[in-house]
Amino acid sequence: MLEAADVRVTIGGTPILHGADITVEQGELVAVVGPNGAGKSTLARAAAGIQKLTGGEVRWDGQDVRKLRGRALARLRAFVPQRPRVPAGLTVRDAVRIGRSAHVGPLQRPTAADRDAAERAIERAGVERFADRMLTTLSGGELQRVQIAVGLAQEAPVLMADEPTSHLDLGATVSVARLLRRLADDGLGVFLVVHDLALAAAVADRVVVMSEGRTVASGPAESVLDSERLAEVWDVDASVEAGSQGQTALRVSWLGDKDTTGGSS
Amino acid sequence: MSGRRVLVVAITVAALLAGVGASLALGTIDVPLREVIDSLLGRAEEGPAKQIILQLRLPRTVDAILVGAALGVAGALLQGALGNPLASPDVIGVTAGSGFGAILILLAFPGSIALLPVGALVFGLTAATLVFVVAWIGPDGGGAGRLILAGIAIAALFAAGTTGLMTAYPDRVQSAVFFLAGGLVSDGWDEMKVVWPYFAVGFVLAVSLIRPLDRLALGDDVAASLGTRPRLIRLGAGGAAALLAAASAAIAGLLGFLGLVVPHVIRMAGGTASHGFVVPVSAIGGAALLLAGDTLARTVKPPLELPVGPFMVVIGVPMFLWLLRKAV
Amino acid sequence: MSRAATRAACLAFVLLAAALAAPATADAPKRIVALTPFSANTLAALGVKPIAIGQTLGGDANFAPSLRRVRTLALAHPNGPNMEQLASLRPGLVLSSPTWTRGNRTMRNLDMRVEVPEPLTVLDMYERIEDIAAMVDRERGGRRLVARIKREISRATRALKSRPRVMLVLGVGRTPYVFLPNSWGGYIMQLAGARLVDANAESRSGFARISDEAIVDADPDVIIGVPHARAEDLDGIRDYMRSNEIWKLTQAGQENRIYVWGDDALLQANLDVGSTISRVRTRFLKNR
Repeated sequence: MLEAADVRVTIGGTPILHGADITVEQGELVAVVGPNGAGKSTLARAAAGIQKLTGGEVRWDGQDVRKLRGRALARLRAFVPQRPRVPAGLTVRDAVRIGRSAHVGPLQRPTAADRDAAERAIERAGVERFADRMLTTLSGGELQRVQIAVGLAQEAPVLMADEPTSHLDLGATVSVARLLRRLADDGLGVFLVVHDLALAAAVADRVVVMSEGRTVASGPAESVLDSERLAEVWDVDASVEAGSQGQTALRVSWLGDKDTTGGSS
Repeated sequence: MSGRRVLVVAITVAALLAGVGASLALGTIDVPLREVIDSLLGRAEEGPAKQIILQLRLPRTVDAILVGAALGVAGALLQGALGNPLASPDVIGVTAGSGFGAILILLAFPGSIALLPVGALVFGLTAATLVFVVAWIGPDGGGAGRLILAGIAIAALFAAGTTGLMTAYPDRVQSAVFFLAGGLVSDGWDEMKVVWPYFAVGFVLAVSLIRPLDRLALGDDVAASLGTRPRLIRLGAGGAAALLAAASAAIAGLLGFLGLVVPHVIRMAGGTASHGFVVPVSAIGGAALLLAGDTLARTVKPPLELPVGPFMVVIGVPMFLWLLRKAV
Repeated sequence: MSRAATRAACLAFVLLAAALAAPATADAPKRIVALTPFSANTLAALGVKPIAIGQTLGGDANFAPSLRRVRTLALAHPNGPNMEQLASLRPGLVLSSPTWTRGNRTMRNLDMRVEVPEPLTVLDMYERIEDIAAMVDRERGGRRLVARIKREISRATRALKSRPRVMLVLGVGRTPYVFLPNSWGGYIMQLAGARLVDANAESRSGFARISDEAIVDADPDVIIGVPHARAEDLDGIRDYMRSNEIWKLTQAGQENRIYVWGDDALLQANLDVGSTISRVRTRFLKNR
């Protein structure tokens, strides 16, 4: 569905991405991990068509992202930003219905089909309980699920989420993680930018590691997130272990006897 | 639409109709409503009453409706596009520019008084254009913060120009004071004839921006995800607001308060920030408020016509404060 | 001729004169509204009574005694008179002021006949009087009025003993706007024998702001303030003017020749030019 090759992005004169590659198919959850400043968000935004490309190619369903305009692109991918705005005066249902815009022509009114699609999105994201509440009254976790619902209302085959759990507590993180996995299982393609390596290992079908503006590895979590990679990219002594029943754990030598003058991730 | 929203719409429409009736019937001579309707339908006999209604009060009522609606819509557009509750047409420099243009004609070229609306329009739009250019160039252009700062700077520039003009022509300053205070004038259709296209384009643009502004409310990134270009929408909203505000200033001078407060009142009363509700109902509410204020300004101390600003404030502020208590 | 024939001849003469005069007076408008003191007083002097006269808010114009019972319309920016009030009077002719440009346009849109016979200085006053006289069909009265005013001015400007330097100042406040020779009051002051202090300023409006330094440099013998104020406030204003530190440095300050003028006679056109000049010469210039 999404094919990005040798993506280069320069922002304000500073090169951020020096050639990144990634693909996402329907039904698979791809987690993009890497240290701060590696360019994960930039890659997500460039792939989504929100950030201008300086070089390289991004194709959605075979079409060049630069040639896809507005609504057509909105029907191919939904982008959920990291800290979305929480406007006053809108309910959850209002917000999700706005997510239908790609399907409603400029001179048309939303139809019953659009309202049904919004309800479906609300159900899939599990936010029916507070669908009539104002956005400003929701907790962090609830808001994040609503944002996903807005993305789902677009009914696009791929959902892109930029660090949706970074500011959530453990319970909310688990809830969002389960939602995203379930969506992938139902056939949605999910592009997930995430910090938490244990989370990435648990939910992803494939993990892509980024470092200093490049994608340096891509593959299943066990093979990609080995100790050598962690030491090389994050400069830490750590490992990711998979346990029974889908549990994962990140083991870190926090205080370590290794020479740590080389900075940190 | 929820019951609450329906109620708000019904009340504002009723207020508008009452305002129209009062505006046509009341004045130095009070004309009974039946005669008013007769005059409008062409059935009344010739005479000063008919002349007053058709040539003085009717144009003034239409002016009030269009200006009130335009300012309400302009405020709603800007508050939505800039994501800032303090946004109003004054913020994008239009008011100060229009003031300068009108005062220029009033003081320096009083013989060409017919050009007053043109002056207000031209300089109002020039000021808005300068604000947009300053806000857009360079990196991180088009952000709401840049726009507001640019608006403050350009407004200060034109305000200084206006003060300079008033100092240069001290004996004509009196005629400028009324314009600066803001108010409608019973002078027939002349000015509306010049200015109506700007209202028309502004309103059409505003309607087309309703859904994009809803998308913008969810944030620039989500809006982009949904296929909207946030900068373009902001530019469009600013442009529409500039057209509406400049045309309004051309007719009614520098009327503040309306553009800032009416959208808030509508939002709080209706309990929603959805632009499909706020923009049209702000138009109706703004028109009703200006009609009420203008009718009071004309009838409180006849035959004097007081500036309309204080009366709008007297009506609008208590409503605003009452709603604010419940909202908070 | 017999008495009967004489009487018949007189009657015939009177009827003939009336017949000749009638069509002419039928043209003269009957319902006249005069919005300026100049036009109102000119009409009164010509024996024509307007149905309404205009008085600006806070203005203090002198109207002829015969106009005392005439209805007064309040005049304010931007239109001048209240248009509805004016329209309900159904005027046949409105004599207006150039100040009310917007209002004049509206009046014309309401199909009223609007004329603006308002003189800028004494020089064009005579023509304006004759214009008004022609509008109301009193040409002979107009010529007589002009002749009378010329005589009054001539008497009032006789034997100018001295030509003091005079600064005529508008309003009250920190910075003086002086009357220039092309203003109504400035021209009258010159007729009264004053040499106007204007620091070579020029302005189409007839007023100019000059700096304190220019005032000290010009060193007027007499300073006259023309505030827009009520009679009760005039003393206070004069004391304020006399306390002005800069003005104290001038000849006028040192000889205590700083005065205040109370009414509108120097501010807008009126017919009392002769008496105004006399008052100015006697009370302020002391050159009679």
